[in-house]
Amino acid sequence: MANERVIPWQPTVIAGPKQALLVTPETAELMIKKAKRPLFILGPLVKEDPLLTYATKIAEKWNLQVVTTADAYKPFNDKGLNPTAYGVVEIVNLLKDPEWQGVDGEGQHDLVIFMGCIYYIASQGLSSLKHYAPHLKTLTICKFFHSNADASFPNLKDEEWFKYLEKMGEVG
Amino acid sequence: MIVVAPKPKSEPKKFKADFWKTKDFKVSIGEIVEKEGGISEEKTPMGPTPKPNVTDLRSWDMKLLGRYEPFYAPFCDMCCLCTFGKCDLLNKKGACGIDSEAQQARIVLLACNIGTAAHAGHGRHLLHHLIEELGEDYPLDLGLNIDIEAPITRTIIGKKPQNLADLDKTLSYVEEQLSHLLSACHTGQEGSSLDFESKALHSGVMDDLAREVGDIAQIVALNMPKGDGDAPLVEMGVGTIDNTKPVVLCIGHNVLPGSSVMDYLDETGQEEDLEVCGICCAAIDISRYNDRAKVVGPLSRQLKFIRSGVADVIIVDEQCIRTDVLEEAQKKNTAVIATTDKMCLGLPDMTDKDPDLIVSKLLNKEIEGALILDPEKVGEVSVKVAKIIAPEREKLKLLPELDEVQKMAAECTECGWCTRVCPNSKPMMEAVIAAKEGDFSGFEELYLNDVCYSCGRCEQECERELPLMSMLAKVGEKLAKTEKFNIRAGRGPVQDVEIRRVGAPLVLGDIPGVIAIVGCSNYPNGGKEVAEMAKEFLERNYIVVATGCGAMSIGEYLDEEGKTLYEQYTGDFDARGLLNIGSCVSNAHISGACIKIANIFAKKPLEGNFEEIADYILNRVGACGIAWGAYSQKAAAIATGFNRWGVPAVVGPHGSKYRRLLLGRTDKKENWKIKDLRTGKVMDGEPAPEHLIYAAENMEEAIVMTAKLCIRPTDTGKGRQIKLNHYIDLYKRYHGRLPPDIHLFVRNEKDIPITYKKDVKEILEEVGWEPREIPQEPSLMGMGGD
Ligand code: SF4
Ligand code: SF4
Ligand code: SF4
Repeated sequence: MANERVIPWQPTVIAGPKQALLVTPETAELMIKKAKRPLFILGPLVKEDPLLTYATKIAEKWNLQVVTTADAYKPFNDKGLNPTAYGVVEIVNLLKDPEWQGVDGEGQHDLVIFMGCIYYIASQGLSSLKHYAPHLKTLTICKFFHSNADASFPNLKDEEWFKYLEKMGEVG
Repeated sequence: MIVVAPKPKSEPKKFKADFWKTKDFKVSIGEIVEKEGGISEEKTPMGPTPKPNVTDLRSWDMKLLGRYEPFYAPFCDMCCLCTFGKCDLLNKKGACGIDSEAQQARIVLLACNIGTAAHAGHGRHLLHHLIEELGEDYPLDLGLNIDIEAPITRTIIGKKPQNLADLDKTLSYVEEQLSHLLSACHTGQEGSSLDFESKALHSGVMDDLAREVGDIAQIVALNMPKGDGDAPLVEMGVGTIDNTKPVVLCIGHNVLPGSSVMDYLDETGQEEDLEVCGICCAAIDISRYNDRAKVVGPLSRQLKFIRSGVADVIIVDEQCIRTDVLEEAQKKNTAVIATTDKMCLGLPDMTDKDPDLIVSKLLNKEIEGALILDPEKVGEVSVKVAKIIAPEREKLKLLPELDEVQKMAAECTECGWCTRVCPNSKPMMEAVIAAKEGDFSGFEELYLNDVCYSCGRCEQECERELPLMSMLAKVGEKLAKTEKFNIRAGRGPVQDVEIRRVGAPLVLGDIPGVIAIVGCSNYPNGGKEVAEMAKEFLERNYIVVATGCGAMSIGEYLDEEGKTLYEQYTGDFDARGLLNIGSCVSNAHISGACIKIANIFAKKPLEGNFEEIADYILNRVGACGIAWGAYSQKAAAIATGFNRWGVPAVVGPHGSKYRRLLLGRTDKKENWKIKDLRTGKVMDGEPAPEHLIYAAENMEEAIVMTAKLCIRPTDTGKGRQIKLNHYIDLYKRYHGRLPPDIHLFVRNEKDIPITYKKDVKEILEEVGWEPREIPQEPSLMGMGGD
């Protein structure tokens, strides 16, 4: 199938004309660099190694505030990321409120990076933010193309994905 | 004659009707006084809202929606409902002026209306038939232990139904409301998302009524168990079906065709000669009628079971049936009989034809299948066809051999699309790749516990057109033989005496909650998680009630000794009771039980008194639904009905596709203010329950959230300790620490569970916690929305 990498991983989540921008690790990093109050949301699909370590390195390199969803809290807390645990729908609900003051109470976030949430519920959450949170941008760095995000990695094979993540977590 | 079969399959439990009276049982906590049973009807004044119209309960809805604000997650950016469209609603309004939020709410209302219509249509069909057979005056006798029959009808309509004619009137009211509600979905009607939501809540309660009517009608007319905790155990699972006999399979939700098959077998003395089994709620309801009927399992079995070719005749009635059932059945030379106006499948209407003529036309393939709208005729025709067709079908050769499965697998191009289109991204491609080498373990993993729920999407996508479902069914064939479970037959309503027994411990919090495991089988990881959740809460002393596919999934779990949960726990409405209430329509008895608590235990009058009852349930009855695989519009209506009564629900991750959740915000203190009706003071409340409908990403999250959603403002100190103990325990298990929001639920030191005293106190100190005043009669009435 043509352009398979940017057809949403589950193709039927296509919601309308607006599609996510395909990003490479470099562009993703630019987005994070530009953001003033980025938030990193980590889901249950990345709570084991090697993904646990990749995600941790990215959080550390960019000094990101971390939210975990479902039962992803413990492994990331053990890694020392000091995450805040929310249900994925709870955190999305807070993020769409322009008045919410963020996980640290110092103001709403302007970039939300998703990784490791279950694809279709993440897609619903991204849709919610796409519609009702014009104050922030969303970026997904899963191995799945998420058309409801503002920016997303394409569909990737594991090896490729790991390389992408390694790049984003490399210091120096 | 299908309707007069008054042979009780098991004796209802005998409770001395005057037991509680003679004890002069009296508990007095705050205003809660219980004495001498329920309220006699004559003394009950009519409340403010009998037969409410669409807007009559709007103020209650707005109170709920103020606290539990709608959270929208559009499934689609577009609207294509009228010819102005398509309209792209992403940050834009449609040509009719509707915005994205209102559009989501409109779709929610539409879904609820479809669900309500499905139950109302089902109820109407049943009732029509039963009135024809038994007459309008046929009395509603639910047995000695149920005085408060039809608590939903009594509250909403304002009158206790006495006979089938009264049920008919209730249904007419539902139908009237439904036409208003559906009309609101038309282009250029409602424009406010909150008003759409209020209508959706109204639709949910109309659904409650329709379900109550449907189930009461079938219970009294078909003599199904009447609140019987000892209802018989029924065989369940593919392995229990003797496929050396002719097999009739019923799929759907309407009991009439299936019960007529049972009757015909009994009348002709052939009950040992045939196997009658069912999928989905038809299975539950036929086995409530006659415990010889077998349950194949939940909806997740449908396609693989049809493909297995075991059924000689498939009878379809209504709701949740594969719409390609005819095509699928034809591939297996299985005869199909459609039986309701909801699903005619393009088949010729044979209702008025002689049964033997229909049999011969079916056998000679003169017709593709038959539409027979007379249930009795369905019984005779299906049995006759099954008996003749069965020996000809050579069932065992109907699936490909394993070496053929391997050969087919070898054709796979490894394109990966089967896995991509799978709703749960299950590794179908990996299973096929392994099968190329003769390793079928991948298929086995998909087969067991319905991890693959046989939706068939992968097969539709496969570029080599591999019959993946048949391959799965073949590999599963030998596993299926070991699938022998049981389920307790659906018992129907909770008895008044049971409510009297548990009313106090439930409202005070000693029994930590009622967990209602309901809904369909669109599970993220197979049915086992449902049984695991049931087990978790049973072991913790909760009351677990179940219906429909959820009730079936619970029965598919065996412990080390090979026992199902139904064999390990009693069927009584009490701590550690596991109750199969019945089918989808029986969900009415779950809200019904909550309503009865308000009436029997707290003496709240029901008639026309919706808001006070719902307010009582929301603030005092620690009940929470889990609809782990909710997928249908009916499930949307059921959950929305629960919500309006004040019962929260947790849905699985697919539930996020319903587009709307109702979420509380603990950071907004003002949202939780309540009025203490005793003192008239408006005061700070607590986020209990925190959400009204919540989608969890995985089972672990769902378990913790469910425990939390059982907390209520009226828990006594001891009750709160028990509830917090479970919440902390479960949270700690999955997160490795105490819940960081624990301080929100500690009103004073008496609420702190002893086991966690030190840790909780540390958190309280950290956040600067102060003890709070406890309201005696917390209420949303008289607060906002009015
Ligand atoms: S109903 Fe409204 S939003 Fe939908 S297609 Fe018509 S004009 Fe557009
Ligand atoms: S049948 Fe459905 S659930 Fe099963 S693997 Fe295929 S797509 Fe997935
Ligand atoms: S869709 Fe068909 S060809 Fe493609 S990987 Fe799956 S089984 Fe193989």
